[in-house]
Amino acid sequence: MQTTTERRFGAAKEDVPLLQMVGISKSFGQVEVLQGIDLTCTAGTLTAICGENGAGKSTLMNILGGVFAPSAGEIYIDGQAISFTHPSEAKARGIAVIHQELNLLPHRSVADNIFLGREPVRFGMLDRRRMNRDSAAALRRLGSDIDPRTPCGALSIAEQQLVEIARALTEEARILVFDEPTAALDESETRALFGLIGELKAAGVAMLYISHRMAEIRELADRISVIKDGRRVATMAAAEASIDNVIQLMVGRALGDFFPQPASAPGGESLLSVRGGGNAQLRGIDLDVRSGEILGIAGLEGSGKAALARALAGVDPFQCGEVEAFDRLGAPRSPRQAARRGIAAIPDDRKRDGLGLSQSLRNNVGLTLRAVTNPLASATSGGRSHRRLDALLAETEVRCADFGMPVGELSGGNQQKVMFARWRAVAPRVWIVSEPTRGIDVGARAAIYRMLRGFAEAGGAVLVVSSDLMELIGLCDRIGVMAAGQLVAELPRGTSEDEIIRHAMRHDPPQVGRSQGQALSARDGDAA
Amino acid sequence: MTAMRATWHQQGIAISLTTASIVFYAFTAVVTGQFSQVSFAGFLGLFERTVALSLVAMGQAVVIAGGAIDLSVANIVSVAAVLAAYFMQNDPGNIAEATVMVIAICGSVGVLNGLLVTLLRVSPLIATLGTSLVLQGILSLSYGALQGTVPKAFQVVAYGKLGGVPVSLLSLLTIALLTAFVLQRTRTGSRLLAVGGNPRAARLAGIHGSRVTVATFAFSAVMSALAGLYLASRLGTGTPWIGRDGSYDLSSIAAAVIGGTLLSGGRISIAGTLAGVLVFAATDAIFNMLQIDPFLSQVLRGVIVIAAVASYTYRSREEAA
Repeated sequence: MQTTTERRFGAAKEDVPLLQMVGISKSFGQVEVLQGIDLTCTAGTLTAICGENGAGKSTLMNILGGVFAPSAGEIYIDGQAISFTHPSEAKARGIAVIHQELNLLPHRSVADNIFLGREPVRFGMLDRRRMNRDSAAALRRLGSDIDPRTPCGALSIAEQQLVEIARALTEEARILVFDEPTAALDESETRALFGLIGELKAAGVAMLYISHRMAEIRELADRISVIKDGRRVATMAAAEASIDNVIQLMVGRALGDFFPQPASAPGGESLLSVRGGGNAQLRGIDLDVRSGEILGIAGLEGSGKAALARALAGVDPFQCGEVEAFDRLGAPRSPRQAARRGIAAIPDDRKRDGLGLSQSLRNNVGLTLRAVTNPLASATSGGRSHRRLDALLAETEVRCADFGMPVGELSGGNQQKVMFARWRAVAPRVWIVSEPTRGIDVGARAAIYRMLRGFAEAGGAVLVVSSDLMELIGLCDRIGVMAAGQLVAELPRGTSEDEIIRHAMRHDPPQVGRSQGQALSARDGDAA
Repeated sequence: MTAMRATWHQQGIAISLTTASIVFYAFTAVVTGQFSQVSFAGFLGLFERTVALSLVAMGQAVVIAGGAIDLSVANIVSVAAVLAAYFMQNDPGNIAEATVMVIAICGSVGVLNGLLVTLLRVSPLIATLGTSLVLQGILSLSYGALQGTVPKAFQVVAYGKLGGVPVSLLSLLTIALLTAFVLQRTRTGSRLLAVGGNPRAARLAGIHGSRVTVATFAFSAVMSALAGLYLASRLGTGTPWIGRDGSYDLSSIAAAVIGGTLLSGGRISIAGTLAGVLVFAATDAIFNMLQIDPFLSQVLRGVIVIAAVASYTYRSREEAA
């Protein structure tokens, strides 16, 4: 791997760069998001773009994809200056962008989505046979056997991500941009994607790759560009870069106490205990969430870990079993009940299930408070008092000049902090937190980990459901592993990723044959 | 598998609505002893009563599937009917020219709607409500100057028959088949559904959404123009209130949505739209036969619309409308 990287990198230097972005700046109104970014990418190489959320990575990619026009600066392809006013022009130049947020039409088939905007026709009619055949072929390259006639609305998030990637593949682009492509993928899908990226490199495709996952960047990148506050702060050959170095450049400070350690031995009285809990997706759940501790829940996609969070928060409550909460009231039967009783729930998809994106920070923060306080109280009290809402936002370290601006304009990390601030308003005893740092930059991650530890230290009980095993291992005092709707193992602090994966796979027969070996080797490069 | 089920689900709506309409209609006719209603001619009569609304509703369905809505259709129908009579002035020599003029004028109103929505970014509801009011005002002001009748020869459109089947019905079916074909089998159709289903996804896929939106409004206006021409042919003249009295705006929306077109855009059924119109025609005919008060029939119409859409939403557990 090392030698190929060096050879390719060396060889590429002699070519005219396929893509050059020079002095790219972009402002939205008064806010300057990008300032004089330079970026070069040669054929057959992959450049990783690192930076905290809000650093301007996605804006840069949108400029390249023709979604926004830059305020200043030039883009050259094969040394020729170009400018785009519409994404179709970028596509015509051979640029394909795989956006982080999924942009599929739920009522149209996979093939319709893959060929959207460039449908093949025969005699003026859509050539559906060819669309289906080519879609299936592209998906197979990604190791997926999704039927191209399935409506996209029926697919899982991971499958939708694969469809997005397959779309870019069929465009046969010369410049391919990935924005967090693996966020929704499991290990075997990720492996298939990485294999494909290798093939594309060999075929001379230039790739830009945005990711928060340092392990991926190490594995794939030939060069690494770090962006901070809209400026490019460094570009280096991947072979020379160390993870610590990159993170330090991104965050602008050393990452000493990434995972805060518990001050005392955690685990007091149980604030929420479940015996034999079950519903359509869960079976025989025995669980105690104790005061002062962070309990992690791991599991593969579809293992029931998301269903467990929803059951505890009263979204899809348990249908059977016994639940005892700190207030002796049993299980919450609805989110409203949970909110009134101080059981906070942070959803795994904050944009879909959490925030009113076009509403102000204050409105979003006040939501839970307003739901549980007297709606006829005076305008300056409770959920309507700016002072109170602003204090909550400030306590939660939300960085924003104007708390009246729409929450949709914030970075992912700040949006997540707004979610936390909303619940802090009702001083919950129990926190049910799903995917707390999905799509969030390193700096905000550290802040969120500190916050979660703080809730536990203050006597609260915290349950964290996450797909990020590193996060669970670093953060949690105990880790429960879910498989096939059951809790199959409880592991102590200091367990390993291999151990978690072993338990997560064991009770999930369809997964074992397909990817157990791959998954293990994926986690530890030397094991294979 | 899933794909086939989805198709079946949509055609299923059209088939079950049509079957239900015909069964209830025939049952009522037999029970009340009005056997002429269930003869071949009786059924043709029922279908004929769907022609005008079907044309408008297909245009409306296309606009809705494209993510917008068109409230100007009723007044465009009136404009078309009035102008048809005025341009023809009872002279068969004027028919061709007048027809082209009417379609062109109404088509430009549609383009104007589209430009208001795309260039000025006025919400479709407000933009088309605005043009609708403007058209209504102009018609009322100038109706005195726009008198006229259509020549006998033009009444073939409404009363002519080909092999015993009304020409209007045959034309309607041809237009419906063409529209369905374009929607299902061409790039135009797939782009329209993309813009309606997720404008951002469509834009990122390189589709020029504004062009598609303008085209849907133009199509809807032309379909309303055809409905107006048909009504002028049927009545021999046009009046400025013909569209409003037929409540083509709200009825066309209801028919499209009953037929399985998503009010939020991205999914359309032409067969379902026609079936939705048939439901209305059959309901009216049934109430006529039963001699139920027309105001009560309006109440029942409302109930039928809500019940139909609620049943889809409930069954599919998604936002059907």
